[in-house]
Amino acid sequence: MVQSKKQRYLFMAFCLVPTFLMFAIFTLYPLVNGLYYSLFQWSGSSSAAEFIGLENYRKLFNDDIIPATIWHDYFLVITKIIGIMILSTFFAVALTQMRIKEAPFYRIVFFFPNIMSVVVIGILWMFIYNPSLGLVNSGLEFLGLEGWTRSWLGSERWALPSLVLPSVWAGIGLFMLMLMGGISNISKSYYEAAEIDGANGWQQFWKITLPLVWPQMKISILYIIITTLNGSFIIVQVMTKGGPNNATHVMGSYLYEEAFVKYNFGYGATIGVMILVLSLITVLIMQYFMRREKVEY
Amino acid sequence: MKNRWKYTVAALLLLVFMVVAGCTPGSGGDDSDSEDTADNGENTEGSGDGEISGELEIQYFVGGYGDSWWKEVIGDFEEEYPDVTITEHAGPNINEEMRSRWVSEDPPDVVYIDGAGSSETQMVEDGQLMNLTSFLDEIELEDGTPLKESFIVEPAMYDGEVYSLPLVFDTWGTWYDSAWFEEKGWEAPENFPDFMDTMGTIQEEEGIDPFVTTGQHPYYFLRGMMYPAFGAKGGDELLTQTIQGQEGAWSSDEVMEVIKNIESMQQEGYIDSDFGALNHTQSQMNFLNHDNAFIPVGFWLPNEMSEDKPEEVEYGFIPSPMQEEGEPYAIVPDLRPLAIAEEADNPEAAKAFVEFVYTKEYATSFSEHTGALMNLQGVDLTESEDVPEFLIEANEMINNPDKVQIYQKPHPMSAELETPISNSLVSLMLGNITAEQFVEEAEAAAEEYRNSQE
Repeated sequence: MVQSKKQRYLFMAFCLVPTFLMFAIFTLYPLVNGLYYSLFQWSGSSSAAEFIGLENYRKLFNDDIIPATIWHDYFLVITKIIGIMILSTFFAVALTQMRIKEAPFYRIVFFFPNIMSVVVIGILWMFIYNPSLGLVNSGLEFLGLEGWTRSWLGSERWALPSLVLPSVWAGIGLFMLMLMGGISNISKSYYEAAEIDGANGWQQFWKITLPLVWPQMKISILYIIITTLNGSFIIVQVMTKGGPNNATHVMGSYLYEEAFVKYNFGYGATIGVMILVLSLITVLIMQYFMRREKVEY
Repeated sequence: MKNRWKYTVAALLLLVFMVVAGCTPGSGGDDSDSEDTADNGENTEGSGDGEISGELEIQYFVGGYGDSWWKEVIGDFEEEYPDVTITEHAGPNINEEMRSRWVSEDPPDVVYIDGAGSSETQMVEDGQLMNLTSFLDEIELEDGTPLKESFIVEPAMYDGEVYSLPLVFDTWGTWYDSAWFEEKGWEAPENFPDFMDTMGTIQEEEGIDPFVTTGQHPYYFLRGMMYPAFGAKGGDELLTQTIQGQEGAWSSDEVMEVIKNIESMQQEGYIDSDFGALNHTQSQMNFLNHDNAFIPVGFWLPNEMSEDKPEEVEYGFIPSPMQEEGEPYAIVPDLRPLAIAEEADNPEAAKAFVEFVYTKEYATSFSEHTGALMNLQGVDLTESEDVPEFLIEANEMINNPDKVQIYQKPHPMSAELETPISNSLVSLMLGNITAEQFVEEAEAAAEEYRNSQE
């Protein structure tokens, strides 16, 4: 039976209109609203708001803390990409190609942090970093490295690097699974052919595995960028609250402090606009750099 | 057909923007709204016939002090005024939960301002609180003395006007374990040089960093140690100047002397070098575990840590010993006020409730329930068995002007100024910046704060 045009359009509308309405209410509306509030001086706790035009944006460009928060965010992005991609790729290769008997067990172990809430992870790692009782300092002392012990989260210099470890630890599992999916789709015949040609394991990894899982890696990297720029807020808020002395503030936690601690909701919204713009630019740039063609053998 | 789709999309977009424009709070008449609330200083509307009835909404934060005292007072009030139905909005997150009500100008009638997410200064700046200046003149205690003359600490003044009445008298001070001190033969310090000596002795004998505070909430040190030091150095005037971020206040000689003292605490290694990572409960745990000997916290410490206190620890409390030799201790109370909303639906009942709360009887019961003090003079706590020992001693000390001088801040410091100063303070206490650099940073923060207020 051939569908009439009317029926076809009705069906399309049935699929599209509710989705679009949801999208409009939960994505477009907050987006436009954020832009709107960034033009006001508003405490966020009363109805009294004063239109101040682009004043908040002027303040943004003159705020000494903003460049530091941007750097902190990108520091986390870069270190997380390097840490997560290297470790998850190696784990994925190890678990799919090295015929380890306990592979399913390791898969669960590595994926475990992903089912934990980031808040729980933050609290857990606060204990690990605890200066007197924590695992890190006790471990260093056990190894006879007393000189290396320090107050990891309480030092202006070490607090930010200390946040990288929990972030990487929490992220490996998911990307490992994605890459494992990619690797298991690669036909075994490539490896057999390579072996006949005399390629060793390392060469097989560089010449076969890596190019063929590149699409998955690309998506992983983009995903890490987006989740870090949007979500590093949680781990910072739980573990250091941006301190000591702003040493770990990322854009999101600084937004929170301005909007809900210092009652500058309008300025907070301005920082939100900045995060949006920077995230978009970053993703566009990364897509440009990673536009490598899909490899097929 | 293509056109039809264009129209559909256009109509949907239009719909979205109508929703956006219509739903945006503060759109359109905002400016006039703010003028309304700011200028209507005294709200005298009400039934006028003296009948107290209708619904009364009360918002109160429940933290370290619990809510049993509130339940008692509210129960008694309902008995006294049977025509009034009270709706309670209470809990540890109540300030966040009620925020949308305040934003939409439909606030509760009475609000107790305390806890995270609340700011008296901000509420006054936003014109959300009723001017209580003339109402305060009318209130009397059960024995006929005017309430105005019965406060331990006067209400906060905003340009000479009163918008809130201080209910809870809380004060920061320095805690130590009196049992441990007795065992070791250490004395609670009586002034700053004495404080440094005692910390030196403890450091030598126990091999610990004697002083700890929370680096995640640096305002514990700011309010608990620096305010009393400012009070002792320059009285109410210096406190006002620093809290309001007046020009030159943070770079004055008096402030410099205080900062130098703090710097010397750091240089001698008396401040726990790990403090930067600690939140308030962690620092309090370290104190209870004798990793440190002194900690600045408010009166709520025993209540908050009641589950974790080792058996042998006995709480000892002194006003923070930041004053010079021969001077009395300085205390800068932290007040938790009760206020009425400018937009209260039932202002008459709200006023009746506020008047009802301020009695010596409820002040005693407050100390029994919470282990803290209500802001009323001459309340005799010695008779009650339920009041903790440290509080009876503290109450006596506070009422003895030879021993303790009470200084008053004009109002709490705005978070806008407190945040950057706290950040620099952490840096100073970690030894990353000098006293001179701190003063410079604080002065710059004060300037920025002043500019933002214009």
